[in-house]
Amino acid sequence: MTNAAKEILIAKLTALADDEVILAHRNSEWTGHGPILEEDIALANIVQDELGHATLWYGLRQQLDGSDPDQLAFFRDANEYRCCELVELPKGDWAFTMLRQYLFDLYEAFWLEAARHSTYQPLADAVQKIIREERFHLQHTQAWIERLGQGTEESNRRLQQALEMQWGYAQQLFVSIPGEELLVAEGIVPDLASVKERWLEHSTRHLQAAGLRLPINPGYQPTSRTYHTEHLWSILAEMQSTARWDAEAKVW
Amino acid sequence: MDTQWPRWEVFKQDTPHKPHQAVGSVHAADPEHALLTARNVFARRPQAVSMWVARAEDIYAWTREEILEGLATAKADTGLGAACRYLVFRKTTHKRSMTFVDHVGEVEATSPEEALQQAQARFTDSEALAWWIVPADKVYQSDPSQETVESWFAPARDKTYKQQQFYATVGSHISKHKVGRGVEDDECC
Amino acid sequence: MPIKYGVPSDPDYNERLREFEARIARGEKIEPGDWMPEEYRRQLIRMISQHAHSEVVGMLPEGAWITRAPTLKRKMILVAKVQDEAGHGQYLYHAAETLGISREAMLEALLSGKAKYSSIFNYPTLTWADIGTIGWLVDGAAIKNQTMLAACSYGPYSRAMVRICAEETFHHKQGKEMVLLYAKGTPKQRQMAQDAINRWWWPALMMMGPHDKDSPNTEILVRWGIKTKTNDQVRQEFINEHAPEILEAGLTIPDPELRYDEATGNWIHGPINWDEFWQVVAGNGPMNKERLEARRRAHAEGAWVREALEAYAAKKQKTAVAV
Repeated sequence: MTNAAKEILIAKLTALADDEVILAHRNSEWTGHGPILEEDIALANIVQDELGHATLWYGLRQQLDGSDPDQLAFFRDANEYRCCELVELPKGDWAFTMLRQYLFDLYEAFWLEAARHSTYQPLADAVQKIIREERFHLQHTQAWIERLGQGTEESNRRLQQALEMQWGYAQQLFVSIPGEELLVAEGIVPDLASVKERWLEHSTRHLQAAGLRLPINPGYQPTSRTYHTEHLWSILAEMQSTARWDAEAKVW
Repeated sequence: MDTQWPRWEVFKQDTPHKPHQAVGSVHAADPEHALLTARNVFARRPQAVSMWVARAEDIYAWTREEILEGLATAKADTGLGAACRYLVFRKTTHKRSMTFVDHVGEVEATSPEEALQQAQARFTDSEALAWWIVPADKVYQSDPSQETVESWFAPARDKTYKQQQFYATVGSHISKHKVGRGVEDDECC
Repeated sequence: MPIKYGVPSDPDYNERLREFEARIARGEKIEPGDWMPEEYRRQLIRMISQHAHSEVVGMLPEGAWITRAPTLKRKMILVAKVQDEAGHGQYLYHAAETLGISREAMLEALLSGKAKYSSIFNYPTLTWADIGTIGWLVDGAAIKNQTMLAACSYGPYSRAMVRICAEETFHHKQGKEMVLLYAKGTPKQRQMAQDAINRWWWPALMMMGPHDKDSPNTEILVRWGIKTKTNDQVRQEFINEHAPEILEAGLTIPDPELRYDEATGNWIHGPINWDEFWQVVAGNGPMNKERLEARRRAHAEGAWVREALEAYAAKKQKTAVAV
């Protein structure tokens, strides 16, 4: 791998990890407050998997430049984070959380499928581990979209509102980071355009079958992972508070 | 005012060589949701390769005591006629366990009571303390494909941080501080 | 099968009771469908549902720190622990349901304030070290109790407890690991650990319930194999195990009268402030109102979700029949 490609891969791995960490954080806010005990258990499973995935992605970066995963997660400022804006949005109601999870899980499923044949072996190995957990997540969230969409008038309305809010943000999942085309050319990561095609086709079909209407005008669509919502600062202030409170501590 | 969903009994198969065992129950509204929930509740830790769920109301249960008191006699022929398959589960020990009845096989019968009689006649290797009889078409199974087993049940193996043996027992051993014969917490189960 | 629970006015009550108690003495499990005294059922419903409520309410003080865990690993571990607590509550509600009480009725009792849950969860978690301390002391106390209950005569409760026991040991160990680490860590970590011990030691002792002389239920619970040890016995075991370990870690215990008695091998503790215990049990602890309010809100805000699932299931069943 060229040095140029290595730098871009480091940035890409950071983006992948940051998405997982922030999404896990948002999902973990539901613990103890879910609508049903069994769903508290289910979402906690997704959170653990996402934290595991974040650890894997940061770990791959560590292999390339020696950065410590906990340092990356707990001591970078908001302007250094490279997550997409979708994962920063507040958890909202159950419909909001389930829709975001579905849109994200679907994107991940297609991205991972295409990334299995990465020419960068450590990435291909990580994908093998992650993909089987993602399959279950997608089954779970797909089932929820169907049930909320077709359940009651109220559940359909809430899900529709969530879709109106999130659809524009979700498009950012398919926006490349600067230089990503170099990684694609070397077969290290999949081309996001073709992942998007499959994602659009499946999500449109599933959401419509669930009784939802795709927004005619998606509204705001973020274009850069160096730009964030107002929420990220506060998320990190809370998330990093204990670690930063005693930055001297070597072990926790 | 509120919803009370059906209860579903869950059966888990630890390995391909062991029978499905009753591990507990979940509340869910439909079969797919019941299976997904069963996986989340009962497959957090290894091992599992397959899960079944059945609505509690579709399960015919008898304890030995109930059978001895004649509570399981077959009703008079109601003319139902058609025989169907019933899955048979049985408990044979009072030993401490986290599972209840084990799957032992199936019978064909025209009623649950008849199925029980057949089961009692067929499965005689051990004394039965309790029986569960379930119509086969009321049991929903997790997808047996390799892909599903990999995504539903294998990931739990990697979550070693939830297994107590991966934590160092630092500090002096508790046995130094026991009075007489207490029960070690590791001895619990 | 419809079950009749025996009451003393039944003509066959005494004979049945003799056989029931003989079964228990033989080490047999009582299963749903077997004859049992109504009083046995009543005691079990009370105990099991309270236990379930405790697990679910217990998710709140620890769950609050998931968003502030200091490393990825600790965050994952805490999520797993709190998830287990939800799972344990789940097993227990289901065990109680085998006795003919609905989940809704139990929740109603909790949210209305009628049902009790373990008083320990009415205390606040003020620092990250509280999380380790809860794992070490609170789960340590819980394990003592649970180990005993795994031998319970009622099948469904016993099985739930055996499953819970197997999962709980990790809670205890990860908590102990954390506090021992902090006790030997930076000055800030050491101070944080000591402060947490100072606040949680006495509430943990109170967890094991009033002294035996003040516990009216104990006798019948012991006779019917629901309890095999008394509160004071369990409390003594707890102190004998944890006191020396805390001291060995270089931390102190906030009990100036605590001392080791060579003759009995027991650690003798100072007087417990039972006024505080009863105040907390009566609803006047630091967090009682907030805990219940959080559960009420979750339940109320979740109503539309539960309705949606039910509506969907009904629609699916209709289509299935039509086909």
